[in-house]
Amino acid sequence: MLGITKRFGPVTACDGIDFVLGRGEVHCLLGENGAGKTTLMSILFGLIPPDDGQIIVDGTSVQFGSPRDALNHGIGMVHQHFMLVPEFTVAENVVLGSRPAWTPRFDRAAAEEEVREVARTSGLEVDPRALIRDIPVDVQQRVEILKLLYRGAKVLILDEPTASLGPAGIKSLFEGLATLREQGHSAILITHKLTEVTAVADGVTVLRGGRLQGSFRQGNTDEAELARAMTGGDIAALPVRRAASGGEVVLRVRGLTVKDTVTGRNAVEDLDLEVAAGEIVGIAGVEGNGQRELADALAGVLAPESGTILLDDADITAMPPRARHAAGLGVIPEDRLRWGLVADLTLAENLALSDISRGGLRRRGRLLDLDGMQARAAELLETYGVRPPNPKARASQLSGGNQQKVVIAREMSRQPRLLVAAQPTRGLDVGAIDYVHRQILDMRDRGGAVLLVTNELEELIALSDRIAVMYRGRFVYRAVTADADVDAIAMAMAGISPEDADAQPGAAMEVA
Amino acid sequence: MSGDAPGRGLLTRALSTPDPRALATGVMALLGTIVVVSLMVAALGEDPFAAIRTIIEGSFGDTTAFGQTLMVAVPLALCGAAAAIPFTARLWNVGAEGQMHIGAFAAVAVALTLPALPGPVFIPLILLGAIVAGALWAGLAGVLKTAFGANEVIVTLMLNFVAILIATYAITGIWPQGVAPSTEQVPDSTVLPVVWSGANVSLALPIALAALVAAWVLMSRTGLGLQIRSIGLNPFASLMNGMRVQTVTVATFAIAGTFAGLAGAMEVIGENKALVTNFSANYGYLGIAVALVARLAPAWIFPSAVLFAALQVGSQSLPASTGIPTSFGQIIIAAFVLGLLGARVIRLRYAEGAVQ
Repeated sequence: MLGITKRFGPVTACDGIDFVLGRGEVHCLLGENGAGKTTLMSILFGLIPPDDGQIIVDGTSVQFGSPRDALNHGIGMVHQHFMLVPEFTVAENVVLGSRPAWTPRFDRAAAEEEVREVARTSGLEVDPRALIRDIPVDVQQRVEILKLLYRGAKVLILDEPTASLGPAGIKSLFEGLATLREQGHSAILITHKLTEVTAVADGVTVLRGGRLQGSFRQGNTDEAELARAMTGGDIAALPVRRAASGGEVVLRVRGLTVKDTVTGRNAVEDLDLEVAAGEIVGIAGVEGNGQRELADALAGVLAPESGTILLDDADITAMPPRARHAAGLGVIPEDRLRWGLVADLTLAENLALSDISRGGLRRRGRLLDLDGMQARAAELLETYGVRPPNPKARASQLSGGNQQKVVIAREMSRQPRLLVAAQPTRGLDVGAIDYVHRQILDMRDRGGAVLLVTNELEELIALSDRIAVMYRGRFVYRAVTADADVDAIAMAMAGISPEDADAQPGAAMEVA
Repeated sequence: MSGDAPGRGLLTRALSTPDPRALATGVMALLGTIVVVSLMVAALGEDPFAAIRTIIEGSFGDTTAFGQTLMVAVPLALCGAAAAIPFTARLWNVGAEGQMHIGAFAAVAVALTLPALPGPVFIPLILLGAIVAGALWAGLAGVLKTAFGANEVIVTLMLNFVAILIATYAITGIWPQGVAPSTEQVPDSTVLPVVWSGANVSLALPIALAALVAAWVLMSRTGLGLQIRSIGLNPFASLMNGMRVQTVTVATFAIAGTFAGLAGAMEVIGENKALVTNFSANYGYLGIAVALVARLAPAWIFPSAVLFAALQVGSQSLPASTGIPTSFGQIIIAAFVLGLLGARVIRLRYAEGAVQ
């Protein structure tokens, strides 16, 4: 791709970008949110036409009018959100859309055989007869890749492929990519995670603000250089961690059992947990092992089956969220657009939600103090560095990082005793991640208690004073961070207890 | 980076997504409706321009016609508010018809059972009785929804039939008048005074306008209004941020009931001076269309109601000057509502398409 330029109105999403991918190469496209990665790849994939520049495939200049054109030239894309039909089998999903619509009979056995063949040659093992809804996320991703291979794709574009995977899933994905590379396939990973670049990439192209920052080969660069290119400066190191304060216990959870509302099984089972003032307790785990239900039960939006939750010795188990807020709880929910913000309300309104619920922000006559709301919002947006700092902007107009800052501003402005932060940096760019981390550390340093739920191991280790790993609703590993063993954490997340791990040396993953 | 709340249907999005050119969309839909309806009139072998002129003259042509349009707009606007406020919270109240009948029932009950009182005391008492009755009736639907998970569309719709039967019982069983299908007449002191005699416009108009101002204040200037909007846009975040979603749900229905109840009362102590059979020309249901055309915005409910009232009143004159039946007015209304919703969906598709 040479000199690719794309403008959206006044915004130049891609500004004369060159991008070169070799055969049999795994190439990372690195950049913060809004750097132009997805736009560039959408052009390559035929989804949007470029304003300028050309695409050359195997020495021939091509023009793609649609994803089908791109696929005909062997280029396919796996989107961040999978496009699979949950009620169909793997084989049906793979062949879906590649058969003429007017073929009256669907030869299931032949399709399954074909899919099995593709899976075997590519080394991506799947059961063609399994239903999509029954298989885990990493296998679904494998199906997405198979779909492209089945259609003859030689170049795979993967958008944030590790966003929804746990360490084991990431490991198997990277192994799969290595196999495909040996067979002469190429892959482009859109990512903003530096660790992935060093783990898997042969080459890396860094974008920033729609411009090319540089192209690097594996071995000729290091994480610090890439981070500089991506952010336009060094990421300041995290503040030095203090020893845990040994303050009084703020959160005391006893025998907590929470049912999964969909499956009815126990998502959290007989869990005990304590978080003290001036301490960050990190909960790690592969997605779907009860961390979400634990955070929801603490937030008060999912009623537990049994057990008690004490906040500063007050029993909040049966309290609705409003009473928990009054008792000193702050929550950064995992899905900020579902649980955190009302996208179509203004920032001023979003910042006031919790106060309004408790009858605050009123003038005499019970009317809302709109001026006060605006002024307070303007102050908070300024303090928390939200861009744009406009109280009248709608939450939906902000980037993910700025939306998260709004959530943090609202929750912190209540000065909570306990902060429950669930996946607080998911989908954020490096700058915003750094910001969120600082806020969490500040909260701790001010003597607050923090329960951090994350499946980013680096984040877990960088922030937590104590670590617990959740597997199938229970803690299978607990340690003070200073004594924690990264391999043991990774194994525990995969459901392998430390004793088992000792029996199979070398199985531990390289993380952090 | 489009911040769409999860699980929102196309129609809900079309209604709640801000559209900077909402008015233009409405005018386009109106022009489109005129073209389509003109073609239909022409197909009937009549002159479309004559029909349009008849409707406009019949609704705005002179003071009497204009006054009649305004008086029909009163119940339409109040029922519009009874639909718009719950719709904002994504609660589908299709029960304004019943809430209005209960309000009418309460009004006639208060007027006929209390001893004679002077108007300035009696009228507020009657309106208050109707408002409370409407609120309780609608609140019942809210309780059934929050306590038992009943679907509010079905509950409010079914309660309409019950309410209409209760009103009918008042006419035939409790206070029968004997001759006409109506209750006994209410005392003269309870009848709303005419405030603009040339147009025969009664106090009902200023009261309705005041109620709409109250609706506007509620939705844009109170904490409850913000909670109603917030719950409609994202009930999950609203719960997480400490809102009492169920309480607000019941309150929202009750508030809707006050507007519909008020509409019913003012029909009783208006020109009819009694609770009469079929006093409502489907005002409760038309209120839904009024609310949709107003994009659920209180400030636009009255203009929207006037538009519907004009079509209703204006089409009364159609048979006299042309060969078109009166019911053609309803066809026009239906065409307009469908055209407007269609136009909004197209605008939405266009706006969402532009984002991608």
